[in-house]
Amino acid sequence: MIRIENLEFRYAAEASPVLCSVDAQIGDGQYVALIGPNGCGKTTLAKHLNGLLTPTSGDILVDGMNTKDSSTLRDLRRAVGMVFQNPDNQIVGMTVEEDLAFGPGNLHLPAAEIGRRVEETLYTVGLAGYEKRPTHTLSGGEKRLVAIAGVLAMQPRYLVFDEPTSFLDPAGKRRILNVIRKLNGSGIAIIHITHDMDEIVDSDHVLVMAEGRISMAGSPGEVLSRVAEMKALGLGPPQVTELLWRLRQSGQDVRETVLTIEEAVKAISSLILRKSGSGGDDARPKV
Amino acid sequence: MLAQRCEIMFHLGQYIPRPSVVHALDPRVKILATLMLSMTILQAGPAKAVVLSIFLLGGAWLSRLSWRDIGAALKPLVFFFCFLFLLHLFFTDGRPLFPAFPAITAEGLSRALITTWQFMALVVCAALLTMTTTPSELISGIERLLRPLRAVRISSHDLAIMVSLALRFVPMLLLEFHRLREAQLSRGADFRAGSIMTRLKKISSLTSVLVIQTFQRADELAQAMEGRGYARGPRTYLRELKMGSADYTIMISTLVFIAALYVLSV
Repeated sequence: MIRIENLEFRYAAEASPVLCSVDAQIGDGQYVALIGPNGCGKTTLAKHLNGLLTPTSGDILVDGMNTKDSSTLRDLRRAVGMVFQNPDNQIVGMTVEEDLAFGPGNLHLPAAEIGRRVEETLYTVGLAGYEKRPTHTLSGGEKRLVAIAGVLAMQPRYLVFDEPTSFLDPAGKRRILNVIRKLNGSGIAIIHITHDMDEIVDSDHVLVMAEGRISMAGSPGEVLSRVAEMKALGLGPPQVTELLWRLRQSGQDVRETVLTIEEAVKAISSLILRKSGSGGDDARPKV
Repeated sequence: MLAQRCEIMFHLGQYIPRPSVVHALDPRVKILATLMLSMTILQAGPAKAVVLSIFLLGGAWLSRLSWRDIGAALKPLVFFFCFLFLLHLFFTDGRPLFPAFPAITAEGLSRALITTWQFMALVVCAALLTMTTTPSELISGIERLLRPLRAVRISSHDLAIMVSLALRFVPMLLLEFHRLREAQLSRGADFRAGSIMTRLKKISSLTSVLVIQTFQRADELAQAMEGRGYARGPRTYLRELKMGSADYTIMISTLVFIAALYVLSV
């Protein structure tokens, strides 16, 4: 479990705080979405989780290890993997397999174990057969997957993704999100940073950040039910959520929070059924 | 399209995958053989030059490289070879070869021939190494050869990481340079007009942007590497180099060949 306790962070003593009284917990195997407008401190918070930045005051405990404690830094880095936004700036190797071998090599693992991990992680992210490919010839989506695999080869218990789908086409986004779900399914806790509200629907818990503080927390349903507040933060709720919210605003009797298209279809068709009187085959909407 | 163009620029004279004995050799053997051959080439006279040429062509044949591949390595330097040849031909004192042209001497001709051959042979020798060895193999070979340096507190692992990062970022910087240039062209910049000085100024304005971006990249890269547990000093690798019987055979025969050249002083 990761415990963030009263975290405050400033880049310099006299500077205004970037993060301010942040309290949060991330349970083992949990899928946490961290959402907020640009410049709210999401990435800064993420960099605290594996000790790239240390709190000005307050503490972060990862499975009992304090991120300020340099004697456990290596174990901390092993436990919490970070996937940064731009894959070009984190791929170290000239070929895919070399890049994946970088992390395990830093852990002084024997060659046979490194080879096993390279093969395994490439299979997990769906890039089996890419071992010898030069990294600069990969597509944007493939580079992301290599960046994820490179961190995954360290076998972390927590994985932090900083806007993993930015600049990708819809197919590329789906591919990355599927991999993230799959990794969470295998027991790795996920911290998913995004400003795309569509991506928080799958999470167990949502943290909303604004101006360096956690301004809202709860399940995706709870957070998304506060549409007006989200809009005030400059975050657009998923289209179906907003559609139903507007229907409700205009006085229609529909469920308050709807996260998926399926739920929206159900809610709207039951509304139509009720509007068009009671039952009868003719009254049923033609879809 | 842009990426492909940079790809071609980067790969000129670079690794050519072929199923050959030379490709399969331990990179350390190839690096050492190249170094020894290069030193011999620099001291070679006409007779040695002929023998060494045959040896190099034999190496190219064993590597399954074609004349065209060798030509591709030499081509960018044709101008340099011609310049070198003419320089020695015209500016060496000695007996005039033709009474009508006193500048051309017999000594000049032989010096021009041997010096130009030396440089061409060096390029071919280096090309044989880089065309049959991937950059990663080269780096791990150099890393292993430099391990004794830890006696003077220089870590070959750190050197290897530095070289491989530099190589890894070359294609990306080229791509970025083209992007910047095209972004400026699309806003009406003209890199062809004006005197050499104004053109240089325009190009240098691109360079400063590139340098700033590179520093930002380096900063992020450092954080990503730290996040993946990087620390200076020893580390382990996916492939540890191991000398096989073919490696010893080639190593020893190259040594014997060079020793024979000196002993027989051909």
